[in-house]
Amino acid sequence: MGTLKLNTTSGGSLSIQAADGASDNTLTLPAVTGGNIVTTADSGTITQGMIGSNVVGKGPAFHAYPSATTSASHSVWTKVPINTERFDTNSNFDTSTYRFTPTVAGYYSVTGMVSFGENIASVEAGLSVNGSIAYGGTANWSNNVNSMTTALIYFNGSTDYVELYAIQWSGVTKTIQNSASTVRFEAHLVRAA
Amino acid sequence: MTLYEKIKTIYSDLTDNDFRTVITLQNDSDGNGDYIKEWNHPTLAKPTQEQLDAIE
Repeated sequence: MGTLKLNTTSGGSLSIQAADGASDNTLTLPAVTGGNIVTTADSGTITQGMIGSNVVGKGPAFHAYPSATTSASHSVWTKVPINTERFDTNSNFDTSTYRFTPTVAGYYSVTGMVSFGENIASVEAGLSVNGSIAYGGTANWSNNVNSMTTALIYFNGSTDYVELYAIQWSGVTKTIQNSASTVRFEAHLVRAA
Repeated sequence: MTLYEKIKTIYSDLTDNDFRTVITLQNDSDGNGDYIKEWNHPTLAKPTQEQLDAIE
C-alpha cells in the first residue's frame, strides 16, 4: 500500500485516481482525532459537524384539514375530523382516525387551529396526546371565533399519537367549520430523539 | 337532549366551571356520540347510564 502525505500547513487539495481496472479502492487517512470518512456510498452515522449550513433533515411532516363541518355540543371536547392532507411526508397521519402517529422518535412541533365561524361565548382548541387533552389553546371568556394551540411534544416513534379536539361554551350545539385556512392540524420533527 | 343537558337535569347545581375543571365530556367523532370522559366531582356521583337514559 502506498502512503501520501501533504507536506504543507497552508492548505491545498489532494486528488487520488483509482488504478485502471481496480474494483476496490481504499483511502486511509491518519486518525488524529478519530471519526468517519463519508463517501457517497456510506450509510453510517452523519455527525452534526458534517452538516453544512442551510441543510435540514427529512423528518416526518404533515398538514391536513377537514373536508366537512362537524357538530360540537356545548361543553364537549369534540375530535376534529381532519381527513384531507395537503402533505404527509412519512404517511404518519391517519385520515380515518384523524390521528398523527409519527414512526420516527423525537420532538415534534404540533399546531392545531379550529374555527366555529361565528362569535360565540368561548371556544378552545386542544391537543390530545395518547387519549388525554394535554395542551389547551388560546381562549377567552368573551366572544371569539377561533382558537389555536401549539406545543413541542416528544413521541416515542411507535405508539405515541396526537389528535386535535375543540370545545365551545355557547349554551347550544355549534358547528366546527371546514375552512382549510382556519381549521388545520400540522406537525413536523424538530429534533430527533 | 344533549349529554350536557341530561347531566344538568340530574344535577342542576353544576356550573360550567365544573365542566371545565372536574368533569370532562368528550366526543371522538366515531359515531358513538358524547360521553363522560372524566368525572372527578368531589361530592356528586357520576350519573349512571340508567339515569341518563331515563331522561328524554
